[in-house]
Amino acid sequence: MSILLSRETRVLVQGITGRAGRTQTKWMLEYGTNIVAGVTPGRGGEEVEGICVYDTVTEAVVEREAEASVFFVPPASVKAAVLEAIEAGIKLIVIVTEHVPTHDAMEIRAYAKGQEVRLLGPTSPGIITPGEAKMGIMPGNMFTAGRIGVISRSGTLAYEISADLSAASLGQSTVVGMGADAVVFTNMPELLELFENDPDTDLVVIVGEVGGIQEEKATQFIAHHMTKPVIAYIAGRSAPEGKRMGHAGAIIQGSMGTSQSKVTALRQVGVEVAEYPLQIVDLVRRRLIHMKEVTNGTEDNQGIL
Amino acid sequence: MRLYEFEGSALFHQQGIAVPEYTVTTSPEEAREKAQLIGLPVIIKAQILVGGRGLAGGVQTANSLEQVGEIVHRIMDRPIKGFSVHQVMVAQKVEVEREFYLGVTVDGYSGTPMVILSAGGGVSIEKVARIHPEQVASRQVSITKGFSLSEAQKMAQEVGLEQEELEQVAATLHILYDVFRKYDTLVTEINPLVRTSKGSYLAVDAKVEIDDASLYRHPDLQVALEDRILNPLERKGHQIGVTYVDLHGEIGIIASGAGLAMASMDIISQRFRPANFLETGGAITAELLYKVMDLVLQKKGLKGIFINLYGGINPVHDGARGIVSYIREHKITIPIVAKVLGNRQEETWEILKQQGITVVTEVATEKAVEQLAQLLEGEK
Repeated sequence: MSILLSRETRVLVQGITGRAGRTQTKWMLEYGTNIVAGVTPGRGGEEVEGICVYDTVTEAVVEREAEASVFFVPPASVKAAVLEAIEAGIKLIVIVTEHVPTHDAMEIRAYAKGQEVRLLGPTSPGIITPGEAKMGIMPGNMFTAGRIGVISRSGTLAYEISADLSAASLGQSTVVGMGADAVVFTNMPELLELFENDPDTDLVVIVGEVGGIQEEKATQFIAHHMTKPVIAYIAGRSAPEGKRMGHAGAIIQGSMGTSQSKVTALRQVGVEVAEYPLQIVDLVRRRLIHMKEVTNGTEDNQGIL
Repeated sequence: MRLYEFEGSALFHQQGIAVPEYTVTTSPEEAREKAQLIGLPVIIKAQILVGGRGLAGGVQTANSLEQVGEIVHRIMDRPIKGFSVHQVMVAQKVEVEREFYLGVTVDGYSGTPMVILSAGGGVSIEKVARIHPEQVASRQVSITKGFSLSEAQKMAQEVGLEQEELEQVAATLHILYDVFRKYDTLVTEINPLVRTSKGSYLAVDAKVEIDDASLYRHPDLQVALEDRILNPLERKGHQIGVTYVDLHGEIGIIASGAGLAMASMDIISQRFRPANFLETGGAITAELLYKVMDLVLQKKGLKGIFINLYGGINPVHDGARGIVSYIREHKITIPIVAKVLGNRQEETWEILKQQGITVVTEVATEKAVEQLAQLLEGEK
């Protein structure tokens, strides 16, 4: 089923009655997402796009067996709403909301630790398993089904790179927006591990950017645990030091978080790094041809090209 | 959002961390009066939000009232590191016997608070950690459990402190963690905390950065982020609700999404220099793009504009109307290349083309930059 999300996943929309919640619910439904319920406290009994709205997540879980939740909840309410969702037994939570207070994000992470829940975001464009379902705001027409996993720290750049891949008939298994804040709920190595264990993914593309140490940490996982090839692009090589480049997490501090340090670390563990986004297509294609040659004639050849 | 030193010192003082006696002033005359009350010698410090002010002459000692006036006048007279000084801090000068570094920051990757203590202060903590790692202790703290006094004492012990020094430094570190939590800070740092010759422990500098996303919880701070953005174009960007970063080149960039904006910069940098980074956010309207055009065009020496948008919540033709009406009203003739994709994109392309904008309908940003290069290099 690719990772985390399939057409069967029973999705809840928290904050469904707001403007973004309504619009995105419509588009998620059109894409094929199995939305079973919405939640907005105090608005239980209403309907949005034919979807029943409940007051609490527990009701949505009990009545409609919701198992995953996508958030269009205002930033100040995110912490309480996430804790509610975890309590109610939701297993996958995608936070699209921007500007969630950093201390709240740290508290959420501490609370979720050790529990059986996967969180993405904050400031995530969402997650899409092309041809099946999407949770979030990604425009469906940029993606096609296939066998390439994509992990991205940004939204629109992930759309563009997925569309570049799609144009070259290189479809995606799942595209995950991990979120653009300095503190995100799921780090890059954990997402790499999911793709590594996913039988529907042959290769992983990382769309990174300056700031933080996600990509550097990913290299440790790649070196020791990753058997599938990884291709990367790091945005922001021309970014100046000390400026937040639109994302809270995209800031170079001294020699920390530079594009150079990330590119060097990735190349050291054998990851091919594209100089520019479009180059990813060539690198992926070459790599897949190589894999096909290696596995040609064996049972492992799954006809990836 | 960074606080000025005097604001940070006030927070520390309120929460129970001792600071030297100080005042903030805007005139040499007032500075002299205040210095007399505090008692000479005093140290005069420019209140600016950039680092390295000491080396740039922004921190000086005055031994007489006459000197106080002269120094304040001199510091406020010319910009320091490019920024004009509107306020100075006049603080009691203390005799330092020993310095310490205390800091609480956010460890982004682990998503936890990080407490750092060093027995060597006054210089950069990175430097101490490199040269004397035995003098530095750090902890990832569980935000739900908090940071206890006994944990602070253990850290003080690890860096070799004993007895009263251990007690005092640990107590200060413990309070510093509370300041970090109470005010939603990303960075709370005392560099240095000093032990004076009289045996008191004082925070003689204060670096505090509040999380922008949490400012709504702290009306008591009475500070506006906008006032802290020193670059006028960056401030204007904040006012209209976009992220603008001023750069030194000649190609204006307008993009939706930070990643896409950075990638655009990277690709453009192959042949030209970006004049700015600009990220519109997801809610693109005619009004917003009209203002964005106005902002980008304020930059001097612009040779071209590169527009790279994916429609978010709104159909993109609305945004295109804003661009076009700005061009018409202000008779803009500078070459513009636009790659705009999203709901009602065909209509959008028509609107832009009719205004003479070069429209690129392919997905790859690289193709659009090639068009820009052809336009600009064709002009030569």
